[in-house]
Parts: sequence; C-alpha cells; structure tokens
Amino acid sequence: MNLNTLAWRNLWRHKRRTLITASSIAFGVLLAVTFTGAGDYFYTRMIDAGANMGMGHISIMAPDYNRAPSSKKRLHQAEALKQRVEEFDDVQSVAMRIQGQAMFASARKSIGGIFFAIDPRQENSDNNLFVKAMVEGDMLPSASGSSVVLGTELAKKLKLKIGKKVVYTTTDKNGDIVSAIARVGGLFKTGSDEIDGSVAILPLHKVQKVLGYQQDEVSVLAVVLSDQRYSNQLRDKMQALPQFADVEVLNWQQTQPDLAGMIAVDKGSNYISQLLIALLVAAGILNTMLMSVLERRREFGVMMAVGMSPKNLFLLVMLESFWLAILGLIIGVIVTTPWFLFMSQTGIDLSAAYGDGFSFGGVLLDPTFKLRLFKESIIAILVGLFGLALLSGAYPAWQAGRVAPVESLKTL
Amino acid sequence: MKVLQLASRNVIRSSHRTMVTTLAMAFACAMMIVFSSLMEGFIVGSERNIVSMNTGDIQIHQFGYRDDPDIYKQIEQSSELVVAIRQAGLMASERLFAYGLMASDNSSSGVQLRGIDLDFESTVTQINQHIQTGDWLDTADPHGVVIGKKLARLLDVSIGSELVFVGQTADGYMANDSFHIRGVLKSVSAEIDNSGVIMSNTMLQDLISLPDGAHEITIIRSDRNTDLDAAVQTINALVGDDLEVLNWQQLMPVISQFLETAQVQSLIMLLFTYIAVASVVLNAMLMSVFERIHEFGIMKAVGVRPWQLIRIIYAETFIQTLLASILGLLLGVSITWYFVRYGLDLSSLSEGISFAGLALDPVWYAAWSFESLLSPILFLFVMTTVAVIYPAIKAAVIRPVDAIHHH
Amino acid sequence: MNNFLRTKSSYRVLLFLLLSIFSQWITAEPIEQDSERVHDLLNEVDDLWRGKSSYAITTMQVKTEHYTRSMKMEGWSKGKEQTLFKVVEPLREKGTVTLKSGNHIYTYLPKTDRTIKLTSGMMMGSWMGSHLTNDDLVKEARLEEDYDASISFEGERDGQNIIEFSLIPRLDAAVVWGKLVLIVLADSHIPLVEYYYDEDMLLARTISFSDIKMIGDRERPAVLRVVPADKPDEFTEFTYLHLEFDLELNDRLFSLSSLKRR
Repeated sequence: MNLNTLAWRNLWRHKRRTLITASSIAFGVLLAVTFTGAGDYFYTRMIDAGANMGMGHISIMAPDYNRAPSSKKRLHQAEALKQRVEEFDDVQSVAMRIQGQAMFASARKSIGGIFFAIDPRQENSDNNLFVKAMVEGDMLPSASGSSVVLGTELAKKLKLKIGKKVVYTTTDKNGDIVSAIARVGGLFKTGSDEIDGSVAILPLHKVQKVLGYQQDEVSVLAVVLSDQRYSNQLRDKMQALPQFADVEVLNWQQTQPDLAGMIAVDKGSNYISQLLIALLVAAGILNTMLMSVLERRREFGVMMAVGMSPKNLFLLVMLESFWLAILGLIIGVIVTTPWFLFMSQTGIDLSAAYGDGFSFGGVLLDPTFKLRLFKESIIAILVGLFGLALLSGAYPAWQAGRVAPVESLKTL
Repeated sequence: MKVLQLASRNVIRSSHRTMVTTLAMAFACAMMIVFSSLMEGFIVGSERNIVSMNTGDIQIHQFGYRDDPDIYKQIEQSSELVVAIRQAGLMASERLFAYGLMASDNSSSGVQLRGIDLDFESTVTQINQHIQTGDWLDTADPHGVVIGKKLARLLDVSIGSELVFVGQTADGYMANDSFHIRGVLKSVSAEIDNSGVIMSNTMLQDLISLPDGAHEITIIRSDRNTDLDAAVQTINALVGDDLEVLNWQQLMPVISQFLETAQVQSLIMLLFTYIAVASVVLNAMLMSVFERIHEFGIMKAVGVRPWQLIRIIYAETFIQTLLASILGLLLGVSITWYFVRYGLDLSSLSEGISFAGLALDPVWYAAWSFESLLSPILFLFVMTTVAVIYPAIKAAVIRPVDAIHHH
Repeated sequence: MNNFLRTKSSYRVLLFLLLSIFSQWITAEPIEQDSERVHDLLNEVDDLWRGKSSYAITTMQVKTEHYTRSMKMEGWSKGKEQTLFKVVEPLREKGTVTLKSGNHIYTYLPKTDRTIKLTSGMMMGSWMGSHLTNDDLVKEARLEEDYDASISFEGERDGQNIIEFSLIPRLDAAVVWGKLVLIVLADSHIPLVEYYYDEDMLLARTISFSDIKMIGDRERPAVLRVVPADKPDEFTEFTYLHLEFDLELNDRLFSLSSLKRR
C-alpha cells in the first residue's frame, strides 16, 4: 500500500483527534490572518496618512533640508524633476509643496505655526489629508491668489472666521522677514488639536512670490505611491538617476522617523504575540502526533517486523503531519475567508472608543478596525503554519522510526 | 482517598503518555504566564514612562495656565504647598516655565525654559536618567543646561556649545544670559524634544526676575499601588478651590485613551492565547481519556460503578493538571523573571521613539502581577474540567463489552 | 505659544516708530476727488518728523497689570532705511542696541556680548515690554502701499477744529487692521489721536498725542501714548526730550561692527 494513502487513512482512524488538531491549525490561520491583516491595514493607513500630511511616501528635497529645514534651502527645477518622477511606474502623484514655519496674526492675536503651500491642481483627497478633512468653506481655489485654509483650532485661537484676513510672517530665501496677507477661505479639522491648532494651507505661487522663489522652486516634491511598500525600491531607483545627483531623495522612514520607529516596535510586539500563539499551535500538533505515535508503538513494531524500514516509518508519520497540516489549512481558509471578507470590506467601527478622530504619532487615523493582507503576508502565513506543522511532526516521526521492533512489541 | 490513590497510581503507571499531555499543558500554562506578564509589563511600563518621565501622577496649576502659559499665572506660596504635600506622604516638586528665544552661533529657535528643583525633581521623575549625551544638571554649574533632542539638531549644537537666551523678565525688562549645553536628552515628549531647555529653578528665577512661586507642581505617589483618586482627593483638600488639580489621565487624554485601547487589545490577545491553549488542553485530555476507554471498560467489568469511574477520571485529571500547573508555573516564572529583569530589547528595530507626546522605552519589560500568575492556572483547571466532561461521561455509561472492543 | 513672541529682543527703534509710523499717511493713495488735498495734508503731517537724518532722546514708560517700567534711549536715523537705537537707562539694559539696516534688524546684547538677528517668530512679540509689537515698528516701508486714504470728517468736534482721515487697508495689504482713523488739528495739522480698528470695526487700540510744544524748529506733540482697547488701564507712553534734524551722520554708524563699540 502506498505510504501516502496509509498516512491519510491513519489520520481518520482517530477522527475526533484529527479534527481537533486540524481546527487548532485552522484557528492559527484565523489568528495569523487577523493579526497580520490588522497590522498590514493599520501600518499602511498610518504610512499613507503620514505621507498625505505633506511629505509623501518619497520626498525629494534640497540637500540637508530634512536635517535642518530652512527656506534658504530649496529645490531648483522642480518642474523638470516632477516630470521625470511621474514617469516611474507605481507613482500615483507628485505634488510641489513649500513647507515652512510662520507666525499667523489677526488683529487680536498672533500664533506660531506651520504652513504648507500647495497647488490645488496637484492635490486631491488621495494625496492630501487636509483636502479630505475640510469642514467649512473650500480648499484653495488656485495656486495664486490670497486664500488660506486654516485648522479649526488655529482659526479659533486667532478668533477668525471665513472671509477674515490673517497676516503671515516668515523668512524668505535670503533670511529676511517677509509678511503677506491671506483671507480665510476654508477650515479643516483632522481631529488632532496639535495639527488643527498649527497648520495653514497657502497657495503655492503666492508663497513663491513672498519667499522670492522662482516658479519652479519648492521645498519638497511629495511623491505618493500606489503602494507604500515600493518606497525603498523607488527611492533607490531615483537616487541612481543623474538628474537627482544634487538633491536628496528620502523615503517616509527618513522623513518621519518617529512614525517608522513606532511601526517597527508595534510590528515587533505583534510578531512576538504571533510567535507565542504559533508555539501553542505547534505544541498542540506535537502532542497529537506524539500521542498517536506512542499508542501505535506495537503497530509500528509489527510493521517493522514485516519489513518496513525505519525510514519509511518516519516518512509515514511525517506524511500524517503533512496531511493533517493540509487539512488544517483548508479548514482554516474556509473559516477565515468570510471573516476576512467582512473585516476587509466593512470592518468594525471603533469611533465610539476613539472619539471622532484619533491621532497617533502625529498621524491621523480613521477609527475603523479593518483588515488588509498583502500577498506576501498570505504566503508567509500559509507557509509558516505548514512548516510549523511539519516541524512539530518531526520529533514524533523520529520517535516512530527509532522504535526497535522487538522492544515495541513488548510494551503494552 | 482511595480514589486519589488509585488515580495517582494510574497517572504514574501510564508515565509516557501522561508526560506528553502534562508537558503540553505545562507549556501552554507557561506561555499564558509569560504573555500575561509581558502585557502587564507593557501597560505598567507605558504608564510609568508617561508618569515618571515628565508628567507625574498629578499636577497642580493655576486655572488657565495650561491653555495660556502666562508667566504671571503662578501658584502662590508653592513652596509651603509642596512641603504640605510631602507631609501628606506624596512626592512633590516645583517647576517654573518661561518662553523666549535661544540663539546658537548658527541658528535660533523659540524655546520653553523649564526650571526644576534639583533636589526634588528626581524624587518625582526620572528625566535625569534620560540623557542621551553629556550629563545631567549640576548645582555647581548653574549655566549648564540640558536640552531636547530635536532642539539640539535645530540649533545645530552639541555638548559644550554656547547658547544665548533672550526673553522678557516678569517686571518687563529684557531677560538675557548665556548658557552652555551640559547634556542632550533622549526622546521625552514632543514639547521637550522640540523646544525644551532645562535648568535649575533658581537659575530661571534669577533670569526672569520671578523670586518665588512656581507654575507647576508635579506629584507622584510613593507607592504606585495606592489609589490615584485618593491621592487627588488628599491634594484637593490641601489646595482648596483656587488651583487646578489634575491627574495624568486628564492631563494627557490622548495617551490615556491610547493606553486604554492598548489594554483592550492586550486583553484580546490574551483571550486568543487562552483559546489556543484551550484547544491544546482539550485535545490532550480528550485523547488521554478516550484512548483508555478500553481500560475503563475492564474496570467497569470488574465492578467499578459509573460514578466511581467519573471520580477516578476527575481525580486523575486533577493530579495531572496540578502537575502541569506546577511545571508551567516554574517554566513561566523563569521566563518571566528573565523578561522582568532584562526585558525584550526592541532597540534594534528603532532607537527611542516618541509619539503623541509619549516616549517609548525600546526595551519591553514584563511585570509581575498576581493575576498574570493565577489566571493561567485557574484557566487550565477550568479547561481540563470541561474537556473531560464528555469522555468521562462516555466512559461511565459505556457498556463494558463495547469498551473492550473500542477501536 | 504666544509667549514665544513675548521676546522683545528686537529693538525696532523708537525713533523709527516716531518718525516713520506716519510716513504711511503721506504716501497712502488718496481715493477721493480731493485726493490732491488728502495727499498734501498727510504729507504735511509726516513732515513733522521727517528729515534727511535725525537724532532724538526719548523716554518710554510702560504700565501693565504686572509692572511699571521706564526707559531712556537715544536714537539716530538716516533716510528711511537706517536706524540705530541705544538704551541709556536703566543700568540693567544700558548699552543694548538695535539696528535696522534695510530689511535686517539686529540687536546687540551687552550682557552676553552677542548680536542677534530678529527672526520672523519674534515679530509679534512685545517690544521692550511695551504695548507695541516688533512688527508695529517694522512695517513702515511697505505700509506706504497698504492703505487707501480719505477725509471722513472735517470741522468742529469737541470744541476743536479737526480733520479726520480714514485709512482702509487694501485687499492685498499685509495688515491685520480693518481700518485706521487719524485725527489732526485743522490749522496746524498736528496729530491728536489715531484709532486702530479690527476687521469687525471694533476698536483695538488708541494712540494719542499730547503736550504740543516747541521741539526743534516747530511745534510738535512731545508725548505719544498707546492704550490697548481690551486693557484700558494699561499704557505705553513715549516722551521726546530732545529732537534735531539734518545732522551729518556717517554710514558706518549703521553697520554691524559699530554695535559693540557703542
């Protein structure tokens, strides 16, 4: 009889035991999908939200700008660089932006804050968080003009409403103090008081004039990718181009090290949790297989006595583990799919727990708990659990192969 | 007694099988203990990080100071108040703040000066142990200051660099003095990282001509296991209605909310671990009873009554679980002890990080708690009891003939 | 955050304040038919303080809820672009110098022997603990283009024959105010009071002029008092002790290297 068939049949001699063990593997699949999926979703959301707050997944900047930002340092020929970057696959959008510190003043009050100067034609809700967060009035009508969009908290502190004016004072390309006026055209609310209380969105061309920049000079080209995972690879590709020799090309990990660190640590603890559960699943499989080997010692003894080699016995038990793992994975996939589909499409709304906005490491999140799985993650989970099952079957299989025929006949 | 004897003899007799089941359960138990302790450590650790780095358990301010930190919004008679708080059995220290411009040779930036009480600050926070480079403040060097990590980068300065402060004194004159950098902090909070300059409060009082009073009193419980609300009440009784007394959760609602969420998450993780354990235990116990149906059949045939059989099975299970929990406890406690002492070093993943104003320690320590040791064992007992119900009843009601021919 | 701004390191020159805060009137573009006249009148007001160069000694008194302080200073100016200002009293601040040269503003601090360049973040800070911000003192040159001026009242009010000018900031002007109102005496064209309104046309602050007497070659108000509308008990008051025009001043006086020597 074929070893394979024998292994399969052996499994079904203890239906209950096999099913319980298989379901513990299936449970492992469910858990791994949930944890990894939550991570894949959560991290992608955070990275995307972080990128959409101004710097993109990849930022192209003047040398040293990232370390010590200053309006003196600017990117020249940004227009040409932008066109070159847009030629890359997976680049979703490239936005020219100027970022800087400014004082915002009304007749009543003045407050220090940050401005992003943008060209509204290059911005949309997919690459700019603030576009999505508008609550009153409109986003800038054009890149010139003198409209400004303020965070709700900033407007409140300045005692300003839509249509009122605000004077912003900043430092131009020569280090001189310059100021200009803008009228409040809209308000955004991200939910983070820190951001809503300090950020203003200004028209790009107007700010270029104020700072003494040329039309194609900006502080950053914010590159948003179709998938944040390509950021390293694309950054390296861009860096290698001669046009980019004199500029700095950085990925989001470099422009937002706090976010990167937070994700790394969170990932670390997520992996540790998963590892513990994997160990438990492995213990379950090991237990099952070992029990089944121990109670069949006599049987193995007989098989060896009739000429089965220890190697084949080892193989037999390994095959049992193999089929058990396959069975478990299949049940796992069957059970997990509807859960995953529900969680990836609808998700669980946690807004009651979080309030209407939740900022995490300065990055804003929408409070829905959802799952998303990268292809690599799916493969990693299946291969990981499968390998785990085989590995835990190895010791019992080795035990089975080790049984001396005569000795095993003696026991029991 | 007889039942127990019989049971233990049975357990010992089937040593190999028992060992496998017991080890699986012991392992599961140990995992639960380790995981609970790590989770406990995360919660305690992040709370301690927040509280002991900067905020303390409770802070006192003049009403309105937190919204608009005006140097004139002082706490009157703060030193008397601090003494009274210490007498009430809590640790307390005064702080003074001022704002202005700090200029280095190459650059300048708006800063927050923090004047701290060098004798008592270390009784309420551990910020003095959080130096990245250089040294902490020293009374012998009043012009030596410790500054935030990002501020150091912004001003492009290092240890020994000279800084000039320009600001305004409380009596309307110009506050101006030069300082040098003694130390640069690790990540503490967004505010300190970006703009914090720490010096002694006597130096700052001198600089801004504010001879007494403080803007903030930071309080910490001597024993973290005592009730926070009770401490708040003690302080409220001391300060009356004129000052704002807030606990750290009120001072940092976002972080406190984040911690609550993290606690729920860790409970969910723990629940999943328990479910995984349950499946291991259930399977192990089911197997170990079912495969002995044959044996039980014989016992029934020689006159053991069903009720007695159930008792024997349960007694065996009990002994086995006890054994497993002792082993699990030993293993779990040793692993936990390691993590409590040395922690799980995540610093290779990232150097110290901060988010939402909370600085994270890159080493993850476990923490002891009575629950994280007891609940896994209780859970183990409950699980085995439940797992054995079905096979035990089956063994009890099965006809001896069927049992003997089982399989 | 606002306290970041309460740094008054920049010594925008008092002189500059007194001389130039009105230079806006003259060049502000009149919108009425009698634009010629508005232009001439404002020019005349401005001439009160205008010269090729000047030297002044003034005192400043500040009263706030928390403190009362006074200060004496000397100032030099040459053209519109160069101004230097030095504290004489009190001893605590003696020797502190502010230099405005073109678009740059520097402060020399004798205590730390350092010169600091004013940054944008400090513009809205209180100037020397007074009720003026650094920005108030800086805005001069640009304000010329910032307002449309008209005569909104002419005749007798409160027993005095006056002319009232209304100055409305232009749409693109970097001005936080909603309107400025300047009242001058009809015959001598000496200013009496100036009102600053916010965008909702609520009074934000008042600058009043008093103690009209012979200073230098003609009658001028010797005292200028700033009162914030939301704190009517507080004020900042400047008094001219001495003022002379058209002296010979060397350009080197207004260089960075002269700061320490002074």
